[in-house]
Amino acid sequence: MELTNILRKAELFNGLSEDELQHVASLCGERRLARGEILTTQGVRGDELFIVTEGLVEVLITESQNDSHKIIVNLGKGQLIGEMSLVDKGPRSATVRAIIEPTLVQVIQRDQFEALCEQNTHVGYIVMRNIATDLSFKLRHRNLSEGK
Amino acid sequence: MTVYKVSYVVTGSEHPGAIVNLDHAPAVGEHITLGDHKFEVIEVLNLVPPRGDFHYIHATIKLVATFQD
Repeated sequence: MELTNILRKAELFNGLSEDELQHVASLCGERRLARGEILTTQGVRGDELFIVTEGLVEVLITESQNDSHKIIVNLGKGQLIGEMSLVDKGPRSATVRAIIEPTLVQVIQRDQFEALCEQNTHVGYIVMRNIATDLSFKLRHRNLSEGK
Repeated sequence: MTVYKVSYVVTGSEHPGAIVNLDHAPAVGEHITLGDHKFEVIEVLNLVPPRGDFHYIHATIKLVATFQD
């Protein structure tokens, strides 16, 4: 499948034109993960944004009091990883690990993506709105999970 | 093109659930696989109003089987 058709199914790009999607696609590179392979590590600086295009990852947080790990959610096709570091430039908030083989992600370098958003304010507005929607959805999921 | 962004919440288990995009709406009674676990969908709700091509769904699921390596 053409990359723009894959990206169109990720909420991050909902509302972009075909030309804008092609520009985004030119910034992407595919990474293939083996089962158990770590994509991001909590507390480590990250300069990449990821979109899961196939497979499944688990998101783990380490509780500093006792160094224990807790899986907070699994993320599958179309889901965004690394959006918090994109917004606040802080360290990774969680460790992300593939749990299905193969798991495929599209990788975008943060600096290149930010430059695109600044050059094209329509892209910038759409992407930031979609990141806000994604964060809201993740928060709703967490609230529902904790309230079950 | 319609995309269903689904928040799966697992009832009766410590499993953290999942967020996955689907090309069809989940349905009660459907069986799904997340990693090593198989689940049955027991409830489906619209979580927030749709926007563009995206529909936002909450599905409650229960564990029915775990696969061994």
